[in-house]
Amino acid sequence: MKHADTGTLRAYLDGQLDPAKHAAIEHLKSCAVCEGELKTLRDYAARVRDGLDRLPELASADNSAMAWAAFQNKREDWMEEHQSQWSLGRRLSLAGAALATIAVVLVLTVAPVRAWAESLLGIFRVERFTVLEIDPSALKGNALQNNQFLNQTISRVLSDEVTVTQKPQEPQVVADAATASKAAGFQVQLLPGETPSSMLVRTGGGVQLKLNRDRIQSILDEAGRSDLQVPASVDGATVGVRVPAGVLAFYGNCGDLAARAAGHVPTSGAKLKQAPDATCISLTELPSPVVSAPQEIDPAQIAQVALQFLGMSANDAASFTQTVDWTSTLVLPVVRGKSTYEQVHVNGNDAALVRPVNGAESARFSLMWVDNGIIFNLNGTGDDTTAINLASQLQ
Amino acid sequence: MTGRWVEAEFEAIFREHYGRIVRVIRRVLQRDSEAEEVCAEVFLRLYRTGPSVAADGLVGAWLYRTATRASIDALRANRRRGAESEGEGALENEDPSEGPLTLLLRQERIAEVRDVLAKLKVDKGQLLLLHHSGLTYQEIAQAMQVNVHSVGTKLARAEAEFSALYERHRRRQRKTQQLQTAKEGQ
Repeated sequence: MKHADTGTLRAYLDGQLDPAKHAAIEHLKSCAVCEGELKTLRDYAARVRDGLDRLPELASADNSAMAWAAFQNKREDWMEEHQSQWSLGRRLSLAGAALATIAVVLVLTVAPVRAWAESLLGIFRVERFTVLEIDPSALKGNALQNNQFLNQTISRVLSDEVTVTQKPQEPQVVADAATASKAAGFQVQLLPGETPSSMLVRTGGGVQLKLNRDRIQSILDEAGRSDLQVPASVDGATVGVRVPAGVLAFYGNCGDLAARAAGHVPTSGAKLKQAPDATCISLTELPSPVVSAPQEIDPAQIAQVALQFLGMSANDAASFTQTVDWTSTLVLPVVRGKSTYEQVHVNGNDAALVRPVNGAESARFSLMWVDNGIIFNLNGTGDDTTAINLASQLQ
Repeated sequence: MTGRWVEAEFEAIFREHYGRIVRVIRRVLQRDSEAEEVCAEVFLRLYRTGPSVAADGLVGAWLYRTATRASIDALRANRRRGAESEGEGALENEDPSEGPLTLLLRQERIAEVRDVLAKLKVDKGQLLLLHHSGLTYQEIAQAMQVNVHSVGTKLARAEAEFSALYERHRRRQRKTQQLQTAKEGQ
């Protein structure tokens, strides 16, 4: 009989031989040639096993819950990047400017919600802001959970409705406050006695969007919220959004944060190669974005829809809407259980101090306030007093 | 992208497979954090590919294929950058009862195995990793998208090549050590 081929012999060693090749086994028992080859194969297999067995396993026990949370963050980063045409949210977002830190802190966790919140709630000129606490359980079971799908719908619906009127340019590294002020077009304030380790000017941008009621309604429908009705007044209205140039200053050791802000390091991947340490302070200053819309549009009415979309009951949305002047207030959604916030004061202005709930991260603060039409966001590590003191010193 | 994932289904797949997949990747890569990062990339790729992968019940096979490929790619990239050659062991799990010399030797052996893995053709490395992870021939065939009857032959070839490289590596290592000892003795 013919000798068994190598594949057969190897499968035989593993007990994985196809039963149809039974005859080969019979042959093996009495064939010295095959026996010899079998031994060679066995030696090879043993060497490989010996080698691979040496490679260490993962030290930590099974932590799929943590891994899932980390994965979700990574996925969100990716989505954010791929929501290209609809980057208004990012432009408008001070959070976008203050980057990773604030992204953790400001908890505008659900990307499409962010697009909504910032395009529809951040209306007109920001003179103040208010924090809106979102109950994550209200979002459960809601189609909002399916980010990818909503993102696609939103970008599809909006992509042909958006015209970029002013294209943002690459951020520009500047040497000092005077240059920054000149480039950004407003008086930049910095921490006295400290030299920023890096300072950037982000150019302004502008978009116009033509609202189409049916298409916006289709977003709500796809999100399973057909119960919410987009006001008829929005149909055909053109809304303009202009985000002025802003300044970003980094102090201390911020790792790759500054390079990432400057666009030198891709924003993909949740982790920075060089993480900022506790000395890192980042400061963003941005004059209020301006939103122009026709008179017929009632921002409060749109806000009510958006708030319900975020999981508020109709009654709560109605009463919250009444407490806010929608022509001058930026609403910062904060997800309960992910961040804590408290209302504080910086130089007499209302300010929100937000911290991640997560133990290791909770020493990090993000302080946000509006002073004289400029939105400030200060991020760092330390207690509340440190945060407020730093903020009050800006000049 | 073809189709959309239902979030709950995707999460179930993630939770079911994550542990196994990250373990395979970690064997190839030196740091827990890097293995976790690569593993997250693999799942992100799955997410982007869409649920069609899961439709024929082969999501496990897809994950194994993608994960072994991604980890070998990352290993090779690290080798090219020389990222792992320095302080190879410092990041390996340390057993406190282990003496420094034993630890050093163990780390050297680990580095050798990874060197060999990086030198093999990628599909051979993948095959060895999958086999070592305990997959059946049927599962390996699905993961590597090859005929199940060819698994034995391919495996035998990959093992032979691994053995040859590994032996060559060890011989060279021994020679270097002998030279070193001789030099120190002078």
